[in-house]
Amino acid sequence: MHVRSRLSLTGAALAAACAISLTACGSSATLPTPKSSGGAAAPTFQQVLDAGPVAPASAIPDGSLMAKIKARGTLNVGGTDTSALFSLKDPVSGKLTGFDAGLAQLLAKYITGKAGENLVLVTADTRETLLQNGTVDTVFATYTITPARAQKVAFAGPYYSSGDAILVAKDNTSITKVDDLAGKTVCTESSSTAANDLKQYAPTAKVILFQTNAECQQAVEQGRADAYVLDQALLLGDQYRDPKVKVVGQPFTSEPYGIGVPLASPEMKAFVNDWLKQIQADGEWAKLWQATIGSVLSGSAPTPPVIGSVQGS
Amino acid sequence: MPRQLALPGGLEHTLGPLGHGLLLTLAMTGLAFAGALVLGVLLAVCRISPVPPLRALGTAYVTVFRNIPLLVLLVLFVFGLPDVGLLFSLFATVTLTMALYWAAFVCEVLRAGIRTVPVGQAEAARALGLTAGQNIRHVILPQALRSMVQPLAGVFIGLALSTSLAAAVGVAEMTGQAEFTTLKYDQPLTTFAATTVVYVLITLTSGLVAGQIEKRVAVRR
Repeated sequence: MHVRSRLSLTGAALAAACAISLTACGSSATLPTPKSSGGAAAPTFQQVLDAGPVAPASAIPDGSLMAKIKARGTLNVGGTDTSALFSLKDPVSGKLTGFDAGLAQLLAKYITGKAGENLVLVTADTRETLLQNGTVDTVFATYTITPARAQKVAFAGPYYSSGDAILVAKDNTSITKVDDLAGKTVCTESSSTAANDLKQYAPTAKVILFQTNAECQQAVEQGRADAYVLDQALLLGDQYRDPKVKVVGQPFTSEPYGIGVPLASPEMKAFVNDWLKQIQADGEWAKLWQATIGSVLSGSAPTPPVIGSVQGS
Repeated sequence: MPRQLALPGGLEHTLGPLGHGLLLTLAMTGLAFAGALVLGVLLAVCRISPVPPLRALGTAYVTVFRNIPLLVLLVLFVFGLPDVGLLFSLFATVTLTMALYWAAFVCEVLRAGIRTVPVGQAEAARALGLTAGQNIRHVILPQALRSMVQPLAGVFIGLALSTSLAAAVGVAEMTGQAEFTTLKYDQPLTTFAATTVVYVLITLTSGLVAGQIEKRVAVRR
């Protein structure tokens, strides 16, 4: 039993509605299969960080936000610490691992020369505000790019494309696709907009918000909720670790994740986009995917989405 | 000429859910406080009774429930009870947990209130030949209740505010609905400011009501 006396919401940001007409994001026609064996030796999370590039001095002009961060010596990152595969804190070592956490540390290293970040816990309620008032320099929190959000913050990226999938108890045969959620009790994480996607795709479903992935999973196991809707990679991770649940169907939304940067610092957005292109070109992005999300999925890393390809980025 | 005020987009769609959240908050507050009062009275009777096992039971209960954070209790009950085969609705589970938790505080308020009645009063009543029951009913409680009004209002306010913790375990009360609304409209400051105002209204009202009650029942010593 997992008891936490903390009121931090887990961050998994998602889109309000599909006002975004996306070019078909090529979500594969079959469900990725969870890994069964180790397979080829992928680089470890730490090895990926150690290999990260550092920006040349010419990329950081005086007076820019990057120069300010470099002078400070730490990058203030808005993120979460309860999101498996994306940004999860090891309670023993205190280290953050995951795809988002890795990117944040790589960016910190690119600017300041060392892969450390100062994590500020954000929730879906606080992300925009903390970026606007300068508390954080950037947000890595499975932050879906939407035109509405792009009014308040700037998005570098997208750096990853995902989609909502459905997790049910092992013995459940009545739910196989999103239409089956009608009238059912569906839970999701409180800081994810899966809640809003559900309003659109399953308007008659009764939505319950829980704080963490573990609580949602528990609710499905105990029958409090019929299904759990969230990012497919996260759900596959749950299925991989817990034999009592399974992921069904294909993702029914497309979520382009972006890196939130202050709207007032356009130089930061361009800088982060250049850095993204660089780590995608030199294979760091793929290695990081292998070390994090790839640890529960088989197959090679997906092709990253084209930078600037989403409305709002 | 009065200018037309344009409502921000989606306000009418927002007020519905937020209003529903407010109803849930009020229902939880009312039910949990009623439950806490009933259980708190029973516990207080245990704690002042002359029977040692009952006294120990009351003391143990208060010690346990007062020293565990409410959020921990909520998570424990919501995710623990189904594991032992007790699956109630979220609303019922959360309201019950709140009643159990705040009953400990109500019990202590009652006990302190009874302590405010001078011992001489009880002794005088006994000297007049009143039974123990009559003594409590006609002499001690009427005087004790007066000094409990404000502390009970304090418990009520604490309980009303603590219902917002229910959002953390999936109840879409006012705070939970505010989270939903934020996800939809990206206006966290406005939404939570409005919610805060409503909470303040609830607590201020209870404070005022308590003041009125106290004036009514004031005892001149």
